[in-house]
Amino acid sequence: MFQINPLTRKKLARFRSIQRGYWSFLILIFLYLLSLAGELFVNNRALVVSYNDELFFPTYGEQMSGKDFGMDYEYEADYRELKNRFAREDSKNWVLLPIVPYGPYEMDYDSEDSTGFSPPSFRRSHFCGTDKTERDVLARLLYGFRIAMTFAIGYLVLTYLIAIAAGSLMGYLGGKSDMLGLRFVEIWANVPFLYMVIILVSVMPGGWGVGWQVSSLLIIMVMFSWTGMTYYIRASVYREKSRDYIAAAKVIGAGPMRIIFKHLLPNVISTLVTFAPFTIAAAISSITALDFLGYGLPPPTPSWGELLKQGVSNLRTAPWIVISTVTALVFTLTLVTFIGEAVREAFDPKKFSTYE
Amino acid sequence: MKKLKYLHIPSLLALSLLFTSCENPKLKPPREDSNQKNQEIAGGGGTIDREFARELAREFGREFAIEFARQMKDSPNLVKFDFEKEGNVTKPMEDLIGEGGEVHPLLAHCSEDVLEFYQKHPDCFSISPIDALPRDLNWQDGGEEQEFASPNAIKGGTWEVFMRDFPRTLRTIGPDANGAFRSYLLDYNVISLVHPHPNSDGYYPGLAKSWAVGKDGRTVYFQLDPKARYSDGEKVKVSDFFFFFYFMRSKHIQAPWYNDFYGKDKFQKVTLYDEKTLSITFYKAKPDVVERVSIRAKPEHFYEELDGEFLSKYQWNPEPTTGAYVALPENVDKGKSVTLLRQKDWWADEKRFFRYRYNPEKIKVSVVRDYNKAFEVFLKGGVDMFGLAKTEFWYDKLPNNHELVQNGYLSKVTFFNQTPPPSYALRINSQKPPFDDLNIRIGFHHAMNFDMVLEKIFRGDFVRMNTVADGYGGRSHPTLRAREFSIEKALEHFAKAGFNERGGDGILVNSKGDRLSIELLTGYRHFEDVLVVLKEQAKKAGLELKLKVLEPTAAWKAANEKNHQVIFSAFNSFVELFPRFWEPYHSDNAYQEVGDSKFEKDGSLKPNLTTKVSTNNFTQTAVREIDHLINKYREEEDLGKITEMAHQLSKMIHDHAVWVPAWKKPWLRIGHWNWVKFPDDWGPKETRDYEEFQVFWIDQPEKERILKAMEAGKPVADKPTLRIYDKYKSN
Repeated sequence: MFQINPLTRKKLARFRSIQRGYWSFLILIFLYLLSLAGELFVNNRALVVSYNDELFFPTYGEQMSGKDFGMDYEYEADYRELKNRFAREDSKNWVLLPIVPYGPYEMDYDSEDSTGFSPPSFRRSHFCGTDKTERDVLARLLYGFRIAMTFAIGYLVLTYLIAIAAGSLMGYLGGKSDMLGLRFVEIWANVPFLYMVIILVSVMPGGWGVGWQVSSLLIIMVMFSWTGMTYYIRASVYREKSRDYIAAAKVIGAGPMRIIFKHLLPNVISTLVTFAPFTIAAAISSITALDFLGYGLPPPTPSWGELLKQGVSNLRTAPWIVISTVTALVFTLTLVTFIGEAVREAFDPKKFSTYE
Repeated sequence: MKKLKYLHIPSLLALSLLFTSCENPKLKPPREDSNQKNQEIAGGGGTIDREFARELAREFGREFAIEFARQMKDSPNLVKFDFEKEGNVTKPMEDLIGEGGEVHPLLAHCSEDVLEFYQKHPDCFSISPIDALPRDLNWQDGGEEQEFASPNAIKGGTWEVFMRDFPRTLRTIGPDANGAFRSYLLDYNVISLVHPHPNSDGYYPGLAKSWAVGKDGRTVYFQLDPKARYSDGEKVKVSDFFFFFYFMRSKHIQAPWYNDFYGKDKFQKVTLYDEKTLSITFYKAKPDVVERVSIRAKPEHFYEELDGEFLSKYQWNPEPTTGAYVALPENVDKGKSVTLLRQKDWWADEKRFFRYRYNPEKIKVSVVRDYNKAFEVFLKGGVDMFGLAKTEFWYDKLPNNHELVQNGYLSKVTFFNQTPPPSYALRINSQKPPFDDLNIRIGFHHAMNFDMVLEKIFRGDFVRMNTVADGYGGRSHPTLRAREFSIEKALEHFAKAGFNERGGDGILVNSKGDRLSIELLTGYRHFEDVLVVLKEQAKKAGLELKLKVLEPTAAWKAANEKNHQVIFSAFNSFVELFPRFWEPYHSDNAYQEVGDSKFEKDGSLKPNLTTKVSTNNFTQTAVREIDHLINKYREEEDLGKITEMAHQLSKMIHDHAVWVPAWKKPWLRIGHWNWVKFPDDWGPKETRDYEEFQVFWIDQPEKERILKAMEAGKPVADKPTLRIYDKYKSN
């Protein structure tokens, strides 16, 4: 829809020239892509199983029963056990496990003394230890990151869609619709966000699975937080609207849709882009906070907030949980903030600004 | 915009009118009109002397009551006092108010509202001459029972405890009164007529020095202890037990549960004989009738009568108590702590069963909002005792090699008790598909891996609950066992119900393509880990559990509306002689249709029944045979038959498979500072809570010694202080 105009291209080049932000961006993108392919690195399903001269790739797709590999049970094959068995039997069959051979839901109660809160151990491949029910902390961190990031991106897209629509309508139409719209936004913004989320989450029917619950949580959060952006969009649109090029477009006979999409939006995009990283950071922290309070994602979805809660209540007995979670959280939020700063600077029309 | 401005005025007016008229209508005194009239008479329109008005009102009321009584006697249509028919009392009663209008001496002090109430319910409240007391009563005084406290106990010291939240009121009844703090005011403190002995099936005397069960098996006679007094020095009067029912049945206390529990259908009659003798008649001759009718005294002189201001008037003004500890308004540090003082010369100081209990001079209950923080406060010595039932506290946060335990400053105690456990269980709503199929329910039982939960999460300290009525001694089914975790059996039963193939994600599907997926609701966030284990293990049996963890009240509401498929919850059980089945398993608590009208001839349920909400039948059990047996069980008065029926019912409910028993803990585990001393047995058999019987004492010199040693870093014991009391350990 938009063509990258030379100005924008210049801004992008400037962003690339700000090393800290640019690298942060690359790292974050890399981490997110990594987490999207998380099943290949952290998973209880094997990458490859060679059984009776046949190769199996159980990572994606339907679950394979223990019987498929000659075990005596019908439920999902335990690949770690399978690997041990093949090793014991000294057969030509083999199993290739991911680096961390645990899933985010799986409880590693295999060894006798495991009763939860095992410290980090390379021997058992629990690099960040385990939580209360003996689930691998690293696995939960990774999948938690994936969910939080996806959630944040979804949040960003949805809030921006609503905010842009409402903001540009108010700004472009002006007058009464602006007045009424703004009043509505003001009232809506004053609805206490956290309480509403708590109330709505507790009355929501949960019958349709985790996916539905996550998306309904997303919708609820978006419902109560799109207002913040509207002000900025409205103000920028207002400012741009009075410029000569808009008047020129009107004179040529362009309709409001064309003016908004072709002329106004490309010019307010700097506002949008500048705020984007901070919106992402806000989304990650609020989903974590909600989970910490117990109103977020339904258990046992891996989540940072839930890990933090466990970590805080077992600060002395299982410090590895809180250490790894806080490190991950701080690291991610720092990356996002660096990106945000860089973007802001890149889109700042004054190239040499000094701060006092 | 202009128009809008004008609109403001009427709308504001309307709003303000609405607010002023909205003063909680519940709070309005019901007899407002007559009160107002009286006040006008008294004050003549000028300022009103409240005392005078009250006196006058009383006078009027009394006259009204007398007139009312007279009319009742004269009118042939109205209910007559027909005690002769009931045959409980050998002689006709003396009137509460005589022919001449004089009030019976036992009730001379009553206010007119209270008298009127007694008059309105002549079948509930009666006075008989002392010679009407049956002569051949077998009076008991608990003399044969052993005391359960230690004669070594020393009085004095301050007992430091914590509460999670500051009490919202010092009332013990009405809205907000049912908080944790109430225990210190009421449950562990106030003395009833008679108390069940916590070590035996007998009783020990409280306000009553002796008691006897009448021939009908449902009337219990009590003789008050002449020493019994309230904390304000007033004697406990027999009429206080009349007043108790006036109080408990009053709408003003805003406690419908109590209104109902102490209602007329259960507590049928109270009779006074003289200043110290009374009887209470229960609706059934239950084996444990003494315990059932052993009410507490309500200080009538304190309340006089109730009105719409009850809640606000007594919010921070606690009633005088017969118990050892008094809460005085001046000892309330709002938001921070409440200090209870032991009465200087408490009437039961020398009384058997009480003399070595209630030892600390003060109980200081401070607010610590966070449980983990409270634990830290405990480790610093700010709290004397701390419950360590949770595995992580017992093993990880205060391990046996913890410095404080090693040095003998702190003790870790395991005390095996015998009491009905809270009924932790998965309650299956048998009304909701697919649970309307018995095979699914049985399969579900076999898919729940509680063995792993007990072994891994509770580290083998908890044991599996087996029946719906564990912990009731002989009344619990002796051989019934909970269904074990077995993937084969689960799959077999699921297959019988049509779920015989696994989908791509390993969850079973039936021929219609429905997945075997169940929503599991709970209000217990702290047991999330348990449910997570169950969920992961159930996958092996091809069953998907979707967990829904809500706030306790929200979960409770959903279950009350019978919107759940399965709920993980627990009811607190009372220490009772035999379990209750009607509330959770009778079909009258599942559907609105009454009795057998909900069943077809063959015993199956009719279609389109109306669900009954807000009952404890969370399993929606509606089985005709179970109904009939429960009805018989409730009517039965013989303990042997009750036992037999309780066993039958436990078995039938087990076969109906709607209740997956979880666990029970056969012990109490606490940590306490070693300046708190306990009797040799630690506590009585039926102790459910370490604070319940207050048999411990604070050893002040020991406290100083320990604190000094701690400061110097010297141990006071050469080995860790760990104590196990397994005298009452069963099997």
